[in-house]
Amino acid sequence: MWRLLATLFALALAASACGGSDSSDDSSASSSSSDAEETEVTLAASGESLLDTIKSRGTLNCGVSGSAVAFSELQADGSMAGFDADYCRVVAAAILGDANKVNFVSLTAAERFTAVQTGDVDLLMRNTTWTQSRDSEVGMDFGPTTYYDGQQLMGRESDGFSGSSQVSDVGGSVICTSAGTTTEKNIADAASEAGVSIELQTFEDFDTVTNNFISGACDIITTDGSALVGRKAKQQPDGENWVIFPATPISKEPLGPTYGQNDSAFADAVNWAVYATIIADEKGLDSSNVDMMLASGDTETIRLLGGEGELQSGMGLPADAFYQVISQVGNYDEIYSRNLNPVGLSREGSANAAWTAGGLVYAPPAR
Amino acid sequence: MQDADQVPVEPEKSSPNEAPSLSMGKWLRTNLFSNWANSILTLLGGFLALFALRGVLNFVFSENRQWDAVRTNLRALMTLSYPESQYIRVWVSLGFVVGLAGVSAGLWANWGGVSVKRVSTWLMGAGGLLAVCVLVREPSVIIGSDGKVVRTVEGSLQRESFLDAMVDRSSWWIAVVVLLAAGILLRNRFSGGSRRAVELPVTSVIFTGLGLAVLSLWIAPYGHYAFISETKSYVAESGRTVAFSTKLPWTVMLALLCGFFRVGRILQRSDYAGVIKGASNLLWLISPLTLFWVVLRDPALDYGHVISTDLPMGLAFGILGGLVLWSLTRTGVGEAGRLVATMLLGFAVFNWVAAFFGWYPMLQKARISFLLLAFAALLAPNFIGELAKRRQLVLGWLGVTALVHYLATMINTPSTVELQSSEFLGGLGLTLFVALIVVLLSFPLGVLLALGRTSKFPIFRMLSTTYIEVIRGVPLISVLIFFSVMVPLFLPDGMELAELAAVLTGYTLFSSAYLAENVRGGLQSITKGQYEAADAIGLTAAQRTGFIVLPQALTVSIPQLVGQVISTFKETSLLAIIGLFDFLRVANSVIPAQSEFMGVKREGILLVAMIYFFFNFTISKYSQRLERRVGLGER
Repeated sequence: MWRLLATLFALALAASACGGSDSSDDSSASSSSSDAEETEVTLAASGESLLDTIKSRGTLNCGVSGSAVAFSELQADGSMAGFDADYCRVVAAAILGDANKVNFVSLTAAERFTAVQTGDVDLLMRNTTWTQSRDSEVGMDFGPTTYYDGQQLMGRESDGFSGSSQVSDVGGSVICTSAGTTTEKNIADAASEAGVSIELQTFEDFDTVTNNFISGACDIITTDGSALVGRKAKQQPDGENWVIFPATPISKEPLGPTYGQNDSAFADAVNWAVYATIIADEKGLDSSNVDMMLASGDTETIRLLGGEGELQSGMGLPADAFYQVISQVGNYDEIYSRNLNPVGLSREGSANAAWTAGGLVYAPPAR
Repeated sequence: MQDADQVPVEPEKSSPNEAPSLSMGKWLRTNLFSNWANSILTLLGGFLALFALRGVLNFVFSENRQWDAVRTNLRALMTLSYPESQYIRVWVSLGFVVGLAGVSAGLWANWGGVSVKRVSTWLMGAGGLLAVCVLVREPSVIIGSDGKVVRTVEGSLQRESFLDAMVDRSSWWIAVVVLLAAGILLRNRFSGGSRRAVELPVTSVIFTGLGLAVLSLWIAPYGHYAFISETKSYVAESGRTVAFSTKLPWTVMLALLCGFFRVGRILQRSDYAGVIKGASNLLWLISPLTLFWVVLRDPALDYGHVISTDLPMGLAFGILGGLVLWSLTRTGVGEAGRLVATMLLGFAVFNWVAAFFGWYPMLQKARISFLLLAFAALLAPNFIGELAKRRQLVLGWLGVTALVHYLATMINTPSTVELQSSEFLGGLGLTLFVALIVVLLSFPLGVLLALGRTSKFPIFRMLSTTYIEVIRGVPLISVLIFFSVMVPLFLPDGMELAELAAVLTGYTLFSSAYLAENVRGGLQSITKGQYEAADAIGLTAAQRTGFIVLPQALTVSIPQLVGQVISTFKETSLLAIIGLFDFLRVANSVIPAQSEFMGVKREGILLVAMIYFFFNFTISKYSQRLERRVGLGER
């Protein structure tokens, strides 16, 4: 029996020794494997900025919706496309120098903030409205708004609605929207403020809402204006004319990057990556002429692109960070036109026009 | 199960109770129009069926349907993000499974035949149904030269005349004629008596059907659809046959299936049939894990690390563990063996506790191995005695160690497949993988729980009962949410549970509780006499359970077990709620969110429903065969 115990002891010793000495080695290999059953991961030491974590990891984990038409849509080949997806690529190009180093994580509205808090994603580009409670209570910080949205209504011209209709004109209508969102509360508030009575019906998702509108079960549907324009462009049957009103939306929905609070280095990197696309748009700098402008642009352009007097290195970014952003992804207008024009959203006359053209898209100067 | 499968089975003949062959008119009169109430029911049912059929056909062939949304997204529905450049891995995995299925079908099953009468009835029935379908579908709307629907002045749709519609559907009529002709020809080749007696092998009928389906890929213009990643646009060309990258693999799959079926048939008659059957069973157990973690993920092995750590560790556990087991099975080792086994178990469990609190580092693999060694040591007393038995235990240990270390190394090595999004597995692939793994893992666990709940020992009974009742008392979705959201919070710092692993664990635990109750139903049907008889011939408790009780109990529970498998497969659609992309979610929320196909949802969901039905109907049909073969329901 003692011989047996001795064998056993030797075995245990051997195994734990060879296990112990190499465990750090093994865990570093396994930490990057997302499918590993159970892996031992060394967490980043606290106090380190997310910026350094992302650089050492080599990919940006970006939380998107995955089912928001024109903003983030999963394509047939499994890739992510859309306005939000491209802004994830902007951030990746700035920090890592490669717009393709993004790991897109599809998140539901309910799990998005938890995903940031637990570190599953570095930032959200997920149609997240900037609100006071989210900025304070929920513990998020918000970057510059990339898209100014607002809730609007859509009705049929044959029902007497037009682009100049107001909420006060919808009395007695059946208004439909998706359940469990703030759109429901907004329209109820707007209707009571306008002093009209409406019948509000909610459905599981906006596809169902639209189908009920097409079948005639709903007189009016309401959600963010960007979604309504898309629906009208793609789903309006022949012989009908859908109209979107009121011209001034009934709610403000500024959408932009969202990240965990109190990480200034990372916040600056994200914010200035977004600003760079806006400044580039103002200066007529786009992916086709960026090389030329690097040689012949004005001093601010050259600074922004990493030439003389550049400020990126001081932020912990590569000097050519924004050059990579513009050349790989494009400026604000390119990103906007590429993704949102096909669904019928145009910049002219909307809040998303440049400030020089009467819109709200504005960036602080790069100096 | 094994005993049941080896019973020679009579080829499927018409049962003696079947009514004698009747002429068409007589058959109608006896079965459908025997009295006035029956006639009314027949007519009513017939009209309802026609109405429903018309509705479905009008839906499917409506000008409003955008089937392109499904066609261009087929790959997303099947595997979601898996890159096209690596698709050969998917085909290799599928080919392996198909080949294994072919060998197993050849090895195990006595497929029997179907009578010519039946085949001809099927053919004529299919032809008749197709004719009805062509007739009841409403005439198509007229598409103008501008590609838009032509409308009357009032705005209503204009449809072509009935006669025009029938002419337009001439290709369908040809199919009807071919089916009917084939059926009638087959029927007339054989006289009344021999129609029933002459049998075609089931396998030939199935392979011919599959062969025709694959052949149609090469001939029929299903249309050529593709998604171009560079331009993010869809290319659809109707009137062409499907892409070469679809045709070829399916042809190869069919060849593999037929070829390996032949191989299986030959092996069945060889002297090593028993060993080969065991090997094929083992492959079924191992292949889902290996195909997923090794073939699909293509792990980037660091050979330096493999040689310096993985290999020596595996060898150390194999050899030293084997030595321990060898000495534990000496005759006269007595109580010392149990003592050592208990100590090993204590040490192994302590390792996990230590991992939880992070007291000392140790490779996860070592922790698992110690636990396995402890279990093997607990089993050791059953192998004391003859040399052959001892060798069996040690060889078994070596095999298990090799397998566990191989898989653990592969699982822990990152994948080299570059994905476009974080979803490694999605679509139908995810659904099938989760269902398969859960069924495989929950089966042994469920049987153990059932045995525990019917055990004589109060502690086992209490633990199993508590477990089963607690798990059955909560809905699956809350178990899944618990494992995907809550468990990661309980884990110690630095330990992570991947989403998929969390889901598999939770779902397996849930499913095994239900399975346990199904098996317990079977256990209760075993009469006391069986237990007493087993005791009387001197079997140990383990032998009694393994050779007498369980085979009978499992046979009795086949219907419930199959029901459990089917519901496990269907309930994988709940994975969508915790953020995984099963193929229902792809159809329900991914396709409608593409700007090209905004809001196009019903087409995808119809396809998904059809795929679910296909799999479940196949499982159900197979289980009916199994029940007939083991004579269930006839005792």
